[in-house]
Amino acid sequence: MKIWKFIFKRILQTIPLLIIVSFISFFIIRLSPVDPLAELRLNPSISQETLQREKTRLGLDKPIIVQYGLWASSFVRGDLGVTSSGEKVSTKLAERIPNTLVLTLIVIFMTWIVGVPLGILGAVYNKTNLDRILTVLSSVGMAIPSFFFAILLLIFAVKTGWFPVGGLTSFDFNDLSFGGKILDLTKHLVLPVTVLFTISLAGLQRQMRANMLDVLDSDYIKFARAKGLSEGKIIFKHALRNAINPMITLLGFEFAGLLSGAALTEYVFQYPGLGRLILEAVMKSDINLVMASLMIGSIMLVAGNLLADILLILTDPRVRGE
Amino acid sequence: MKKILGLVLTLFVIIILLGVLIRKDDNNSGYTFDTADIKPNPDAVAINKPYPCPKTKTIDGVDYLQSQLPVGQFGGEYVTSTIGEGPKTFNPFTSTDATSSTMADVMYDGLFTSNPMTGEVIPKLAKGVKSNKNGTKYIITLRKGIKWSDGKPITADDVMFTWNDIIFAGLGNTSIRDELVIAGELPKIRKLDNYTVEFTIKRPFAPFLRALSAPIAPKHYFAKDRDWQKNFDRFLATNTNPKDIVTSGAFRLKEYIPAQRVVFEKNPNYYMINKNGDRLPYINKIIYLIVGDINNQILKFEAGEIDDISLRGGDVARYKAKEAHSDYVIYNLGADNGTMFVAINLNNRKNKDTGKYFVPQYKQRWFGDRNFRKAIDYALDRQGMVQNIANGMATPLFTAESPSGIFYNKKITGHKRDIKTALAYLHKSGFRLKNGKLYDKYGNRVEIDLSTNAGNTEREALGVMIKQDLADIGIKVNFKPIEFNSLVNKITNSYNWDMIILGLTGSPLEPHNGKNVWSSAGPLHLFNQRSAADIKAGHIYPLPWEKRIDTLFEKGALCTNFNERKKYYDEYQQIIYNEAPIVYLYSPIRIYAIRRKIKNIYPSTLSGLTYNIEELYIDKEFKK
Repeated sequence: MKIWKFIFKRILQTIPLLIIVSFISFFIIRLSPVDPLAELRLNPSISQETLQREKTRLGLDKPIIVQYGLWASSFVRGDLGVTSSGEKVSTKLAERIPNTLVLTLIVIFMTWIVGVPLGILGAVYNKTNLDRILTVLSSVGMAIPSFFFAILLLIFAVKTGWFPVGGLTSFDFNDLSFGGKILDLTKHLVLPVTVLFTISLAGLQRQMRANMLDVLDSDYIKFARAKGLSEGKIIFKHALRNAINPMITLLGFEFAGLLSGAALTEYVFQYPGLGRLILEAVMKSDINLVMASLMIGSIMLVAGNLLADILLILTDPRVRGE
Repeated sequence: MKKILGLVLTLFVIIILLGVLIRKDDNNSGYTFDTADIKPNPDAVAINKPYPCPKTKTIDGVDYLQSQLPVGQFGGEYVTSTIGEGPKTFNPFTSTDATSSTMADVMYDGLFTSNPMTGEVIPKLAKGVKSNKNGTKYIITLRKGIKWSDGKPITADDVMFTWNDIIFAGLGNTSIRDELVIAGELPKIRKLDNYTVEFTIKRPFAPFLRALSAPIAPKHYFAKDRDWQKNFDRFLATNTNPKDIVTSGAFRLKEYIPAQRVVFEKNPNYYMINKNGDRLPYINKIIYLIVGDINNQILKFEAGEIDDISLRGGDVARYKAKEAHSDYVIYNLGADNGTMFVAINLNNRKNKDTGKYFVPQYKQRWFGDRNFRKAIDYALDRQGMVQNIANGMATPLFTAESPSGIFYNKKITGHKRDIKTALAYLHKSGFRLKNGKLYDKYGNRVEIDLSTNAGNTEREALGVMIKQDLADIGIKVNFKPIEFNSLVNKITNSYNWDMIILGLTGSPLEPHNGKNVWSSAGPLHLFNQRSAADIKAGHIYPLPWEKRIDTLFEKGALCTNFNERKKYYDEYQQIIYNEAPIVYLYSPIRIYAIRRKIKNIYPSTLSGLTYNIEELYIDKEFKK
């Protein structure tokens, strides 16, 4: 019951946040010397009526503050407008979001499956060679820029021919059997996943290791050791539970960060995801598309944080008590 | 222990760095200069081996078009690529961008096409044409018994519909219609019987027959809704179900996946046959991969994912060196019909919506000044651009017609880079150079925005060179590449630009096709664009030399004698050279790499490599 109240409260708090985010983005975009209808005007496949409809809908003849109100009200009603090439923004986004989600979810899943245990290993075998090797690897992972790593992997794909050079599906995808489709998708996903995985893995491993070290150093673990508990019990029953809490907050951020953080990787790999769409939209100042993407980005961020908080409540009795 | 670890670490870092350097060099040879020494011989591959044009062959009352090339093998896919965002529409009559037009060309044939070797007009969807003596009447016979991809016959009704109800009615992109307004009147079209139509024009018009290469639309498909005219602009949008699309060309749409690819499959009813009488095309599917930029395209070619690529100057040497041990052939198609240029915005009109000038007034005074434009012309180092950016794979250019064209004015020999002359021109108009900075006579610092389409590394490199060249005469250039569509928008709609680097493809056979650019009321008169509303209202007010060009184009079109026409077109090129509204830089040489397994290729300077896509086949036994 309490938790529902909390969620409700948080969602209420989200609303002003979203308003502020949309407000700032809207003003920054509108104040830049770009005519949002410029491309529509040029586009011969957009009729005069559409242009007029868009103009009224966006309220371009009105002051910016009124424009913002109009945009917001049509946004709330679920109308995202049309892109500069005359397609519905919602359709465009719907085309791309699943692709990005596939990438994002795989990466989050893999990072956590691998990163957390590696962090624990690093902490438990602190200052041994294993820890040092892990430290070196994660430093490399943190240091290498994603777009650059992506380019290196693309060249790797070209030289070896083991992986396709970018994209998500092969041209004969629809003629493949179900197994063939899975294999084809996997082949295309390996490289972008590797890039995003390496980079977020490094951070996660370091974080987990640091948390675990903190906990392992605390008095109650020393006490447990003195009491003669088995090492496995100490680590997995007592230390891990306390060390994992900060990680859950991190999960929330990562959830949102991967959506926007994948943009460069997506572009390099020509991955048909949201990031590439937004990048292209920004490059040609496709306002409706940019605003819609920004809002989705913010909502994802807020939702990720909310998710993390809820998980925290579920896992940490101390938070629950407050 | 620690030392060993340190050593291993250092080695690791060194290896990574080395790898990086080598790779980068490999990948980034876009405009490195060191490859210039190992320039391949551009004429290494013989092109223009005579292409036997297909001929009409009647079997059981059906007038097929029969390929005269060696019989090939059926099956396989041809994978190519298109740079950018992919098609915006599949409607050949509304498309305005290159990608959409390419896609439409694959699906729709016109009545005529050009002989890829000589450029003369040859029948395609039409069976033949007869004209009267003075060239004002054309009687066109259609092929009997040929069908649309859905099995319905292609008849005179479709031709009538296309020309009367779509093109002459002004639906969609009106550039063909505008081209055919002859002496103030559109041609008249009359149906004589189910397979014969007659075009009547008021005055002889040299480029008329070639204009009939426009695609023909299936009436039963395009006009199936009662209010099809109203929805025409949205018809055949990219979300159209591919199964519904009716085509006449060698292929029909199979699928379009945004940001990934467009797939075409063989049209089973195509009217072309091979020597054995089997229906073409040989290839089952043609796939256009949508790639973001040229670098990605190159990677895809090297990974074997695409079958052809147009090479940049900087890549040619590397490809040539590897050619002998590779599965591709490199063709040099000679001087392009293309021209690379910097356009200067002479627009001095106001935006009617905002009441503001498109170009600020102080800048109008610069750009409207012939001396200023000539100064830019003299300050640019074309030879350096050809050497450094095109790696020698281009010819410096000083006028609007490409050297490959038959109307090219050979008397315009151009000039070398000459800062003194440039400064003298500037001096004449009261510009002053102070501490290496140029000021106009009102004391404004001369600062110009230069733009081009982002992603085109050649133009981006040109921008950097132009910036440096103009810095030598004190002009500050702010160079900012932008997305192609935004660039087009600036040119055709918002007019708020100073200088733009662009390339346009002209026709080497018909300078009249440049009318859209050179006529003062043309829709692509980019250096001094009048808005559609102004053109409609007749508010053109051409400059004196613009008016002269208008006259020359009019005379050139009416005249059928080559030598007389040449005189008109020579003069127009001279005017452009003298006035320099567009400063031409160079004409590139086109070099393509294509997989050896693709056969029946007859490279042509005029039409490229894959103009006969229906006759190309994939050699299945081919091994590297």
